[in-house]
Formats: sequence, structure tokens, C-alpha cells
Amino acid sequence: MNKEKILSELQKIVGNAFVSNDPAELYIYSIDPGASKPRSVNFVVMPASTEEVQAIVKLANEYKIPIVPMGGGLTLSGLTLPVKGGIVMDMKRMNKIVEINKLSRYALLEAGVTTGRLQAYLDKNYPELQVSVPDAPPSVTVAGNALINGSGFLTHQHGDHGAMINGLEIVLPNGELCKLGSCGLSDYWFSRGPIPDLIGLYTSSFGIMGIVTKLSIKLYPKPKMRDLVFGLFKKTDIIPNLLYKVTSTDLVEDILLGIQGKPDWMADYIFIISYITGNTQDELDKKEKKLKKMYRKNGARFMKAPPRLRDAFLEKPQFAANAADFRKGGGFEYVGSFFPLEKVPEAIEEGVKISEKYGIVPTLGARIFGATHTVMVFFTYAFNRADPDDIQNARDALKETNEITLKLGGIPWKGELEAQKMILEKIDPQYKNLLKTIKNHLDPNGIMNPGNWEVN
Amino acid sequence: MDLDEFKEIIHRCFRCGYCKFTHNYSDFNCPSFDKYKFESFSTGGRMWLIYALMNKETEWSERVANILYSCPTCGNCMENCRFEKFNTFLVDIIEAARARAVESGFCPERQKTLLERTINPKYYNPYGEPNTNNEDLKQKYNLPNQAEWVYFIGCTSNYRQQDLRDATLKLLKSAGISFTLIDEHCCTSPLIRTGQIEPVEEFMNYNIERIQETGAKKVITSCAGCCRTLKVDFKKQDIKMDIEVLHTSELINHLLKEGKITFDSEINKIITYHDPCHIGRHLGLYDAPREVYNNIPGIDFREMERIKGDSWCCGAGGGVKIGYPDWALEISKERLEQAKKTGAQIISSTCPFCRTNLSDANIKFAMGFEILDLVEILDKIQITAHKK
Ligand SMILES: Cc1cc2nc3c(=O)[nH]c(=O)nc-3n(C[C@H](O)[C@H](O)[C@H](O)COP(=O)(O)OP(=O)(O)OC[C@H]3O[C@@H](n4cnc5c(N)ncnc54)[C@H](O)[C@@H]3O)c2cc1C
Ligand code: SF4
Ligand code: SF4
Repeated sequence: MNKEKILSELQKIVGNAFVSNDPAELYIYSIDPGASKPRSVNFVVMPASTEEVQAIVKLANEYKIPIVPMGGGLTLSGLTLPVKGGIVMDMKRMNKIVEINKLSRYALLEAGVTTGRLQAYLDKNYPELQVSVPDAPPSVTVAGNALINGSGFLTHQHGDHGAMINGLEIVLPNGELCKLGSCGLSDYWFSRGPIPDLIGLYTSSFGIMGIVTKLSIKLYPKPKMRDLVFGLFKKTDIIPNLLYKVTSTDLVEDILLGIQGKPDWMADYIFIISYITGNTQDELDKKEKKLKKMYRKNGARFMKAPPRLRDAFLEKPQFAANAADFRKGGGFEYVGSFFPLEKVPEAIEEGVKISEKYGIVPTLGARIFGATHTVMVFFTYAFNRADPDDIQNARDALKETNEITLKLGGIPWKGELEAQKMILEKIDPQYKNLLKTIKNHLDPNGIMNPGNWEVN
Repeated sequence: MDLDEFKEIIHRCFRCGYCKFTHNYSDFNCPSFDKYKFESFSTGGRMWLIYALMNKETEWSERVANILYSCPTCGNCMENCRFEKFNTFLVDIIEAARARAVESGFCPERQKTLLERTINPKYYNPYGEPNTNNEDLKQKYNLPNQAEWVYFIGCTSNYRQQDLRDATLKLLKSAGISFTLIDEHCCTSPLIRTGQIEPVEEFMNYNIERIQETGAKKVITSCAGCCRTLKVDFKKQDIKMDIEVLHTSELINHLLKEGKITFDSEINKIITYHDPCHIGRHLGLYDAPREVYNNIPGIDFREMERIKGDSWCCGAGGGVKIGYPDWALEISKERLEQAKKTGAQIISSTCPFCRTNLSDANIKFAMGFEILDLVEILDKIQITAHKK
């Protein structure tokens, strides 16, 4: 690799200030806050426009050097750490909120726009609209999150965030530009179809199919008031019926389950939080009353949420990063696994066992997608970054959780390399062949995030 | 504090990035990250690099030093990092790492001049101006040797913003305060902020002894940097002092509330206030200055969008003005643009260093504001002292 030449070419494209191969940047971009081992990086580059992205991709083809697109870099699964070295393309300079279409309810964004900024922008300028943000830190990108099929507080009502994509502008692995969705033939980025849906190629494929430079994401009406109805129960076996019943109505905006080993009083319980929204207090009161009854009838009991808990769970996004300090060590990673509803009790029981086996306070939860079309169960493993054995302990727990997930018929979400390998081992061989054919066709030089979803 | 004292907490930073933002995430509010954009220039990036340096996973280099020094110590990270167990230490950690940079021979050249000038017996100030013992000022304002208060002028007011200094002296006189001046040496704020800490204790002891000689139990300062240093860093250094420190805005506000002074003429201008980081986020002093402005007859006081804990830094602090003069002005320009949106004619602050940087940017970018310290505004109105 002619590093000097590549550096000077990159400098020509983005300017000297926005490319680095200094050990300081290479170090920071070679690690993420999850449990992955560091992986080496050769360059970090920050383009400011689609044209610059195209020029970098063309350069990468010329020198056959890998590119890894990065938003916030916060999946925790090492997805923005290059597997085969190369260029990390940090998208944050592409930070324009290009358009908010109020009537058709979408936001057209450059790929570096953070969830925090979009949420604040809407709150200020379009208070009647909202975007479904994940409970990730506000520094993650809307694109990075949607592209991994992320989920948030509107996922129960409207599906995962990948499903909320209306359109994408993509720099293909050969550097050409392509628009997918209605934007391919219309000035309006309002719809994904009705044309062959190729957007799916870009979700959960972790940047191996090209680089998204713009996306249109759906926005939703924002009710004036929001509250939660907290419930507790002890036995996992009531979960399917309870969730089925609650989601049979249109009472709730979002539903979360949680298991927390701390504080002590919570250790014996599973809690359910149903979020209710409305435009009057009366509306909320009525919903709360119905939910209380529904909880009671289906084996859970209502509890008035303690104020601190209530505030914490009503925050948007929730401060889930808190888990990083559970072991006073700045680290955690979680397996989020997509399960069919019927498998959730077993998944939770197995998750608690794994936590106990590895000496980690059980911290699990679940979010409902659609009308129980999917339940994402998350198994959180905190570790102390200063203690290599503790990190390895978390890695082992993560591996075992991925194995259990697949055994139970679930699918690990935003899987780190090892999880991807496990999935590919289990997946229908023709699925693999198709993936390989498409990938090789789109990216003959194998420059886009090689090593991920790699089919040999 | 030595970097090793943070060993048990530094790795607790998750690199999650709350520290980059304002409270409601409306935009990045860490001037350094906003400028350089690489994750290494975020607070989290700095924490991880410092930790890697401590563990020898990475090495000192000019770039690493540049990353550590290109931070105006604005404290936005302390305000917005959600981890309460360690967010108060973030700037201390950066400063302690700078002290390591100095030890390892990586203090940038420009910042070094701060130390060279300050320890030079001809100056004792970071501006390299001949030291004044303030006797002529004492004579001019007829100040005693013994008094209840010491007005600690601070190097920026004494050597760069004399109008502000004189306005403060006049104000204290007209308010009937019993005060005096000392032959002060630099408070050491620029040295602490840039990690050049070797002479700090000696300078602090010197200043405390001079203050004690006057019999004063209270110190007033009109500089945010001196104020934070006297209130916080002296204690951290374990300097024995039984002295209360007040910022001018606090003192004036007390006097107003106690009815000891009244403002008796008008100023008919639209004014907005820039919170200095070193009394704002560092000391939580937000309300006193606002209460004083709002007591000035005729004033149309308007707030900018980013205020108090969310204030956008002026860009001068932490050695940035000397180390990165052009960038310091870019940061101030951003603040002036925010101020423009309020329709203000005057941008006022309560720190001579903010005033300097905002004024420099105002001139460089022809922004057309009047930049005045609170005390300079008060100098334009009639203040009556009342015996109570
Ligand atoms: C505390 C915490 C809580 C979390 N809670 C949630 C939650 O509630 N819901 C949820 O969904 N997630 C959650 N996450 C997971 C994750 O952080 C988010 O999904 C996050 O939004 C990912 O976005 P990012 O910008 O960090 O993506 P990145 O990590 O930067 O990227 C993700 C993937 O997309 C690729 N990519 C990024 N940008 C582009 C682009 N422009 N073009 C092509 N490919 C690209 C990357 O190569 C990578 O493979 C949480 C994470 C943390 C740390
Ligand atoms: S300083 Fe605090 S907010 Fe910033 S990255 Fe570290 S833990 Fe997160
Ligand atoms: S003190 Fe200010 S500039 Fe420095 S890292 Fe913190 S937020 Fe950024």
C-alpha cells in the first residue's frame, strides 16, 4: 500500500484538516466502547459532500483499499472497526438537515445528522412532528441507526427504523451515485415503493453494499402528552399472553420489558412499561385505567412508578448508557436478539442464567416491534475496561448469548463478527449464495467493509 | 492534581458523546470537537487517549499534545456528561494530562511563553508587561493599606483592559466599599490551565500573604479566571486561606439586594450577556450577573439561545488564545453571530479575557457590536451609595 500517495490523494479530496493517519486518530478509531478487540485503521477521512464520498470510493478502488463508513460508531459490536484495515470514513461533516416535509411527514438528511440534533430540531421547529429515536446516546446518526434496523419508542406502532426509511442516496462501491425509493424518479422522498425494493440491501448489511450519503426517514404526529404505566410480575410464562393482550388494543405507543438485578427490590421481578400518549389528561387516565385492568387480568400488577424511575423512562432518549458504569469501568455490550413472541420467556430465562454464570448483574430487557411481530430481547453485559479479564468475561457471555439466540430460533441483531459468522453458518445456503453474488457484482474489488457478512 | 489521582476514574468514560452537545442536543457545544471533528478531539476521545498514554498503549507526540491543548477548558463536557461520578473531573483530567505533556517535553511553544513571562521577576504576568505594584493606583484612588476587601485586579484587567479595571475601582469607591490593592502576581490560572504547574504553589502563597498583610478577609475579582482560581484551585492546592472570594457581579448584586446601592440613571440599549465559562459552568454563577443587568434602568436585556450551562465559549481560555489565536477568534465569531440574533447592540460579559477575545473578533469580522464588561456599563450610569 502506498500510504504517502493515498494520504496526499485523500488530502486533495477533503483538505488536510479532515484526513489523518496520525497514530492518535488511528488509535481512537481502532477501538469502540464495546467488547471487541482493537482492529487497525490506516486512515480516517471526513468528507463533506456526496462528491467527496464518490472521489474517495473511486480512489479506494484504484488502490484496492477498504472503506468502512461510520456514523456515531456506537453499535458496541465493533461494526465500524475495519476487519482488513483501510479507511474509516467518518460521516459527521455531512450534517445537513436538507428538508422537513411536514405534509408528507419525512425528514431528508445527510448521513451524518445525529439523532439528538434531529430530535431537537423538530422539537423547536416542528413541535407537532416526531422521529423515533433509539435509546442510544444522541451522538449516534439517524442513518447509522436506521441502517442497522434500529428501534425506538415508535417501533411498536410503526416498525423498526429500517422500515421507516423512505429513500436513500447511495455511493455505490464503484463510486457511482444511485437513488433508491421514490427519490429515484420524483422530487419527493416520500415513499419506498411501489417499485422493486432495493433499500433492503442496505439495511443490516453493515456498509458492505455502498455508502449512504442521504436518507429520508419517516416522521410521525406527536401527541401532546406522554406517560407510562408500570407493572410487575414474577413469572416469564405470562409474557406472551400479556404482550399479546396489551398489543391487541391501540392503547400503547411503546412497550418495554425489563429485568434488573439492581436495586435489590427489583431483582425478583420482571417489569413491563406501557407508554401511553394523548392530547388530554383525561385521555391518558382512561388508557391507564384500561391497562391496569389488563395487567391484573393477565398476571401482572400495576405499580405507581417511583418518580426517579418514571423520569428516567420518560426521557427521550433514555440514558441507557448508564449501564457502562455498572462495573465502574466505562464499558458494556449487549446482544439484542430478534425473537418470535413465543420464545421470549425461554430467552429471558437463559439470559439470566448466562448473566449469573458470568457473575454479571442480570440486566435484560425487551422492546416490542409492531403488534408483536418481533420482540427484541437485549442481554446487557457490563465490564470494566481497565480489567482485561473482565472484558474477556463479557465477550464469553456475549458469545454464549448469540449461540442460545440461534438455538432458540432467534437472530442476533447488529451482530459483531463472531455473531455474523454464526448466522452465516446456520443460514440457508442459497441465501448465502445470493448475498455473495450481489456483493461480488456490486463490489468486485471488495473494498466495502470487507470481512463483514463474508461468504467464502 | 496529579494525573495518577484520576487513575481509578478515567477509564469510566464510555465515549458516548453526551459531552459534545448542549442539554437538549440541539448542536455540538464543545468548541474543540466542533472545529476538529475527529473523535480524538471530543472529551471522550481525550479521556481515552489520556488513558492510553497512562497505559503506554500510545505515545506522546506533537499531535497528542495538540489534541490536549486545543481545548479552551470551557466545561461544557462537565455540564453535559451524564456520569455524575466523574463528570466534575473532566477538565481537571485534561489539565493534569497537560502537566504530563509539560513533563514529557510536549508543551507547545506558544503556551510555554505564558510560563516564561510569568516567572520572570520583571513581569510576574503572562503578558510580559513590567510588573506594577499598584501603588500609583492606590494613591490615585486614595486607598488605605489595611481594608476589609482586596480588589484582586488580575493581569488581563491590569495590563490589557485598564478601562475595565478603572471602572471597577470607581464602582467600588462609589459603592463605599472599604478596599485596597496588593502588589499582585499572576493568580496562576494560565499556568494551571496549560499544565505548567511548577511555580503555582509559590505564586499562590505569595498572593495570599499579600492579601493577609492588608487584614482583608474578603477578595473581590472582576476576572472569571482569577475567580475560579481563587475559589477552586487555591483549595485544591491546599493553600491555607481564611478568605471569602466574590466576583464583582456577586458583590454588586448583594449591594443591590441590601439596598446599599441604587442605579439612578438609564441606559437605553439592547444588551445580551455572554456567560464566561470560568464563573458559569465552572462555578455555577449564572443568576447574579443577570439580576444586576435587569436592575439597570432602561436596559433591554435579551438572552441568546445558548446560555448558562449551554453557553457557547468565547474561545479564549485554557491557553487557546495564545496557542491558536485564529481559532480563538473563530470561536468568538460564532458567539457574536449568536448574539446578532437577539438584536443586541451591546454584548456584555463579566470577564476581561472574554471581553478581549470578543472585542478582537468583533473588530476582525466587523460585527459592529459594542463589547463591554458589566462594570463598564455600570460606569456609564449614576450609582448612589446608601448607608444601611
Ligand atoms: C447506550 C446505548 C443504547 C442503545 N440503545 C439502542 C436502542 O434503543 N435502539 C437501537 O436501535 N440501538 C441502540 N443502540 C445501538 C446503536 O448505538 C445504535 O443503533 C446506533 O444508532 C447506531 O448508529 P451509529 O451512528 O452509531 O452507527 P455506526 O456504529 O456508526 O454504524 C452502524 C453500521 O452502519 C454502517 N454505516 C454507518 N453509516 C453508514 C452510511 N452512511 N452508509 C453505509 N453504512 C453506514 C457502519 O459501517 C456500521 O456497520 C444503543 C447503543 C448504546 C451505546
Ligand atoms: S466524558 Fe462523559 S459524556 Fe463524554 S464520552 Fe465520556 S462518559 Fe460520555
Ligand atoms: S472543556 Fe470544552 S472544549 Fe474542552 S473538551 Fe470539554 S467541552 Fe470540549
